[in-house]
This record gives sequence, C-alpha cells and structure tokens, in this order.
Amino acid sequence: MQKTLLELSDLSIKFGGLTAVNKLNTKINVGEAVGLIGPNGAGKTTAFNLIVGVYQPTAGKVVFDGEDITGLPPHVVCRKGIGRTFQVVKPFGKMTVLQNIMVGAFVNTSKNKEARQIATEIMEKMGLQGKRDHLAQNLTIPERKRLEMAKALATQPKLLLLDEVLAGLNQTEIEEAVQLIKTINREGITILMIEHVLQATMAICSRIVVLDYGKKIAEGSPQEVTSNSEVIKAYLGDEYENADS
Amino acid sequence: MTGININKNSVILAVLVVLLLLLPMAVTKPYYLHVIIICLLWAYLASSWNIIGGFAGQLSLGHGIYTAIGAYITVILFNTFGLSPWLGLFVGGGAAILLSLVIGYPTFGLRGAYYALATVAISEGIVVLLNNTGSIGRFTVGGAEGLIVKMVGNSAVAFQFNSKIPYYYIVLIMVFLIIFVAKWLKESKLGYYLVALREDEDAAAAMGINVRRNKLIAGAISAFFTALGGVFYAMLIRYLEPNAIAGAGMSTQMVFLAIVGGSGTVLGPVIGGILLALISEIIRFYLGGQLMGLHLFIYGMIVLLMIIYQPRGIIELFEKIGQRFSRKHNDEGGRSGAEDPSGA
Repeated sequence: MQKTLLELSDLSIKFGGLTAVNKLNTKINVGEAVGLIGPNGAGKTTAFNLIVGVYQPTAGKVVFDGEDITGLPPHVVCRKGIGRTFQVVKPFGKMTVLQNIMVGAFVNTSKNKEARQIATEIMEKMGLQGKRDHLAQNLTIPERKRLEMAKALATQPKLLLLDEVLAGLNQTEIEEAVQLIKTINREGITILMIEHVLQATMAICSRIVVLDYGKKIAEGSPQEVTSNSEVIKAYLGDEYENADS
Repeated sequence: MTGININKNSVILAVLVVLLLLLPMAVTKPYYLHVIIICLLWAYLASSWNIIGGFAGQLSLGHGIYTAIGAYITVILFNTFGLSPWLGLFVGGGAAILLSLVIGYPTFGLRGAYYALATVAISEGIVVLLNNTGSIGRFTVGGAEGLIVKMVGNSAVAFQFNSKIPYYYIVLIMVFLIIFVAKWLKESKLGYYLVALREDEDAAAAMGINVRRNKLIAGAISAFFTALGGVFYAMLIRYLEPNAIAGAGMSTQMVFLAIVGGSGTVLGPVIGGILLALISEIIRFYLGGQLMGLHLFIYGMIVLLMIIYQPRGIIELFEKIGQRFSRKHNDEGGRSGAEDPSGA
C-alpha cells in the first residue's frame, strides 16, 4: 500500500444556499498524478481553493502529509508543500520572468543568490530561459502558463495543483506541456490537475475524479471513468444516455 | 561588458559624491544652501514613502502623521527634559513604528482605494487632534499656535547650528542612507515579496507570502525613516505647525514627488524630489510676489504635464538615455546585446 499524501474527507462548502462542494472524499498517494474533471461549475476550482485555504470549508477535513491543514491560510499551506497555479494566470506583470520565479524560490532561502540559482534551474526546465529578462506582462499565453507552473514549482512543493494549465493552448503546445507535466511527475512531485482537455488528462493521469454539482460522481482509471454512465450523463445530458440505451 | 559598465558607473558615482561634499564651498549664500537642503529633504521623504507606497504599492496619503510624530516627540522631549534630539529621534522613530503597526493592522486588509481613504481619514484626524491639544500634562504641544523649539545657540548636541552647512551634510547623509536602504530592499527577499504582493496579492499568498505581515514590516520601515525626516525638518525650521508638518500638503507632496520621479524604483523618488522641489522654489522666487498663488498654479501644471507625458516617472527618461549610450557602445563593440534591459 502506498503512502497517502492528501486526504479529503467529507469536504464541503456552502455559499448561501448553494453547496459548491458536497462531501468530497478522496485520497491521493505520493507520486500519483490525478485528474479532477467535471462540467463547468462543478466545483473543481472551489475544491482547490478549499485545499489551499482560500476558502474555509463549512465541513470536512483536509489532511496533507499526515497533518490536518484544514482552514490554514494560503501562505502557510504553500509552505507545508502545496503549490498551485491559477486558472486565470496571475503573473507579477512588472517583474521579469526570472524575478517571478525567484519569488517562489524565496520560500526555501533568504539569500538572493540561492533564490536566483533555484529559479534559473526551474526556468530552464520550463524552457523559459530565452525570456529571462522580459517583463511577465509581455509574455504570450503559452509562456504565461509555463511561467505560472514555474512559479509554483519554485516553492519546491510535494503536491502541485494545476488549474487548467492546458486551456488556450494549441495542439503542439498541449503536447509539449503534457510532456513537461509528465516529467515533473516522474521527478517525484505528486500532481492533482483540473483539466478540460480530456485526452491530455488521460495521457498524464493514472486516476481521475469526476465532480458534478459539487459531488463526486465517479472515480477510477481513465477507461473506467469514460465508460461510466453517470459521467456521460453529466457531460452530455440525460437524453444522450436514454438514446444510447 | 558588464565590468566596464560597473566601473563607469562607480566613477560617475565617485565624482558625484565628491561634488556633493564640496558643494557648500561653491554655494556660499545661506538662502541657496537652504533651498538645496529643502530639495534634499524632499528627496529623502519621497524615498521614505516609496518603501510602502512604491515597492509595496500601498497608496498611503497620510504619511504626514509620521513626520509629525517624529518631530513632535523629539521636540517635546527636548523642550521638556533637554533630551538631545539625536536620542529623541529614536523615541520619535520608535513611536512612528508603533503608530504604523496600529494603523496598518486593520487597514492593510483593505485593498486599493479603501486603504488610501483610510490613511486620509486617520491623518486628518491627527491634524485636528494636534490643532486642539495645547498640552498633555506637563508636556507643551502648542495646539494651533504651533510649537517652538527651545533655542540654545550653536550646539551640535542640541542639533542646532548657526550655519546651514551642518544641516546640509546631515541631510546629505540621510539621502545616501535612504538610497542604500532602497537598494538593499530591492535585492532582498522582502523587496521581492513587496513587489509580488503589489502586483497580485492572491498569487503572492499562494507562493508562501504572508501578505499582511510583509505590508506591516514595509510600513514600519517607511514610517521610521519618514519620522527621521520630520525630526530634521523640526530642527531646521525650529517651529512646528500642525498643518505644515502633518497636513495634507505634507502627505500628498511625498506621494507626488515619488510618483513623478518614478515610484517603486531606487532613484526615482530622489530625482523627483530634487527636481520638483527645485522647480517649485525657482517659480516661487520669481513669481511668488506677483500674483497670489500663481507660482502654485504653474507648479501644478508642470506636475500635470509630467504625469501625462512621463507616467512611469522621470527615472525612465534617464534609463532610456543610459540605454542609448550603452547600446551605442555595444554596437561599436560589434555586439547587439539588446536582449538585456536590466543593465540600468
């Protein structure tokens, strides 16, 4: 049995009358790559925000690396070893690419030189070295997505939460990004990713969790999930399922 | 290439320092020296504001309270107990740090315009308090009439000099000190954190930055140095008037100078402070007596034009000129090197 890195138990949050995430239970093992999918508004990003402490859950627990981190503020959660990217990327526009990444590296060092060294390595891994001294606000979308990952990686996380890092990329760019994420995962960083590009998710993830209206409706290998009737119904509607059967 | 640049820069810097040190020998009229001192003081104050307002991007429109608390505490301690202002400034600076934390804790949770408005409200409140407090126990505060620094004649311990020259050297050291602090800040972890949280608080928090704590630290550093500027002002003018030392004029001037010079940069506020204070003084000298307020109107127009045509600050102009120079050099050396804008 593998070691559990992240465990969500009965994780729930209500906004007024709306239950955005409803009793979410799941476990992620060390070294795994797990996909979190579901239709728009299913509560995927909200689940991320619950894990990293942007929102306080109404009920339930988040246990990371054997420690209860439920409701800790985002900067503390980051220092526990969870890095996250934002769906709408948030580069520090008036900083250069290297400086952006250095901000993350400063989590583990106070020395400018060391931070620069860590950041340079990650910058090269992410293929951004050509843009080293460019202001982040002048980057293209694919570059911004890669910078977003580089910033999170610079904090040297055990678990990386990726929120639609493939959205807005063309086919070639997606293939490159998939290879990159696979490499990151192979180097020992556990990955939980929200993604709409299913084909890419299946290429990366060994397991997929499906959310609909805040509830987990399926979990399993990509093959299991895609043949699950609940999932097909959630994505394509009742009629499709009826017509099919 | 970089080595040559550094050498060239340090030569320019050394020449500049020597010129500044020798300046009182050339400028013998006290009035001119006084103008230069005021310009340097504004450069210093704008740079102090820049730590929280520029680097951390928190638009404080109430920094006058820190000049006031530094000045008032130092002068009251001197007038009452004869405590040397050189020691009093630490008490005043310490009080400014405390005040910045008390104000910062609730207000740094606010974003954008709300924070700016809160600082205006607090500083206006403190001006009213100062105007209406004649004395606290045995301590004379002076109320609306103001507070006069007790004269003891030429005394270094009492921070009182008959000549303007010592004031010039003191304020010059202060400007060097604040440039040094800004330069250190820019390279340090704290500096990176401040710029990051200025650009995006949520992204900063996701990267392990305790946003409020770092704002509080930056606010405290900024308040301390601003208070020292207030102490210098008090000892130079020897008279404290609530509206002048704590009022909106003082508070907004620091912001103007820093933004016009280039906020969030090391040298921008220094350049803005010296240049604008000089322009303001020249206009006042030539036009002050002619039509009431004309000099202020013209000064306002100049500030407006600078903001319209050079929104990123005068510093950017200097950087462009510097880049053109180094590019020329590179072309002559057969290298383009245009990829690296960080040279300046």
